[in-house]
Amino acid sequence: MTTAPLAAPRWRGVAALAEREVLRVLRLWTQTIVPPVVAAVLFIVVFGVALGNSIRVIDGFPYEQFIVPGLVLMGVATSAFGNNATSIYQARNDGFIEDPASSPMGPTQLLLGYLAGGVARSLLIGGLTLAAARIFVDYPVEDPLVLAAALIGTSLAFSALGAVVGLHSTGWEQQNVVGNLVIQPLVFLGGVFYSIEALSQPWRALTHADPIFYMVVAARHGTLGSSEVPVALSLGITLGLAAAMLIWAWVTFIRGVGIRT
Amino acid sequence: MIADGAPALACEGVHKTFPGGVEALAGLDLAIPEGSFFGLLGPNGAGKTTLIRSVVGLTRPDAGAIRVFGRRAWGEGATAARRAIGYAPQEVALDRFVPVRESLTLHGRYFGMSRADARHRADEMLIAFDLSAKADDYAHHLSGGMRRRLLLARALLHRPRLVILDEPTAGVDLELRYDLWAYIRSLHADGSTILLTTHYIEEAEALCERVAFIRGGRIVADGPPSDLRERFGAARLEDVYLQLVGR
Repeated sequence: MTTAPLAAPRWRGVAALAEREVLRVLRLWTQTIVPPVVAAVLFIVVFGVALGNSIRVIDGFPYEQFIVPGLVLMGVATSAFGNNATSIYQARNDGFIEDPASSPMGPTQLLLGYLAGGVARSLLIGGLTLAAARIFVDYPVEDPLVLAAALIGTSLAFSALGAVVGLHSTGWEQQNVVGNLVIQPLVFLGGVFYSIEALSQPWRALTHADPIFYMVVAARHGTLGSSEVPVALSLGITLGLAAAMLIWAWVTFIRGVGIRT
Repeated sequence: MIADGAPALACEGVHKTFPGGVEALAGLDLAIPEGSFFGLLGPNGAGKTTLIRSVVGLTRPDAGAIRVFGRRAWGEGATAARRAIGYAPQEVALDRFVPVRESLTLHGRYFGMSRADARHRADEMLIAFDLSAKADDYAHHLSGGMRRRLLLARALLHRPRLVILDEPTAGVDLELRYDLWAYIRSLHADGSTILLTTHYIEEAEALCERVAFIRGGRIVADGPPSDLRERFGAARLEDVYLQLVGR
């Protein structure tokens, strides 16, 4: 027996792990892709198209147009988090995470491989939600680069956070707590359904303290060309948060939390 | 590159204490020459699995050094060390989201093989372990014996030079045990170094050229089975074991 050549072993491992994570998402599409897209479309139909007549215009846009970018972002954030928290915790709980963890891949490679699933799933959901929304609402895409940066930044931030939670979790309920009691409220209070201009203090200040608000605003700027705060600020906070979460996840992998005793 | 002439596994003063104060390894020293068939025996809680997990990078030792063919198992050099190890854990932990052939191919790629090489090797392993008919099934649809064979096939997929088998025959029927013995023997005959932990003393006696007894996180005796029997005045290796555990 001989040991196979050592050519770029770590990066082949990353490609394999990333492929495994993306295939998991695609194979479980009825659980991973369809529900969040359907939920976002239902929000658009119920709040935008059906109830939109009672609100009519917000920040100069028809209500059904106004909520589209926030709903897309909501799907990206929650699916990126949920995917990685679930996939990594399941791999730990079943023990099969030990296969890649005992391979030549280091913490950076493991992080990149596991991020792939959350990023692929959330961006696919974002794209499908944008496409499905178009059936009901005629919305513009004023600045595609800003929209792409907002969605990718959000996807990376919440994929990384999901990885951290997946590594720290000791039970399924902990992921639900973070998802339902932290992320979901922050998303709903982040201006997905309303304009901050309509808020009085202290709600306006609280919304300004919600990082997801800046992600929503950046996505809205990319779509509608309208910003409640300067786009440099909203994009800066979105990408800064993504960087901070990635560093947190990287350090968690380096420490071997949940993988190495 | 892996250093030539270095032991397949060398542990020096390896310590590991888990949170809560349980000392699993207490300055363990061990050297396994390349090409040997080595058995590690000891009661539950003696430190066997902690040692193995330290070697494969899943348990971080508090102190001491572990080298695999001269390469450190932790930190710089760990890539080469891990590449040289094939590990079949005690618990059958297989990816439930990918079919059998794909799980083998992924393992090979995790360990640096190209996609084509990993696929080819996966097919070889499926034939060797009589799993070809199940290649497209998911692991959780396999019988217990098939899962155990798949675990062994996975450990060997990337052609490791040091094969670590943590109780590979635990809970399997006699027929499969003999099949696994035959495969492990042929693997050793091809030049692989084997480190086997087992609760079955007769298994170690039948397979291993050298055995070591571990107790309290230390190696308390090691050598060829015949030497150990002579040293302890025992007719069987089991009697050596019983003396060492104080029975």
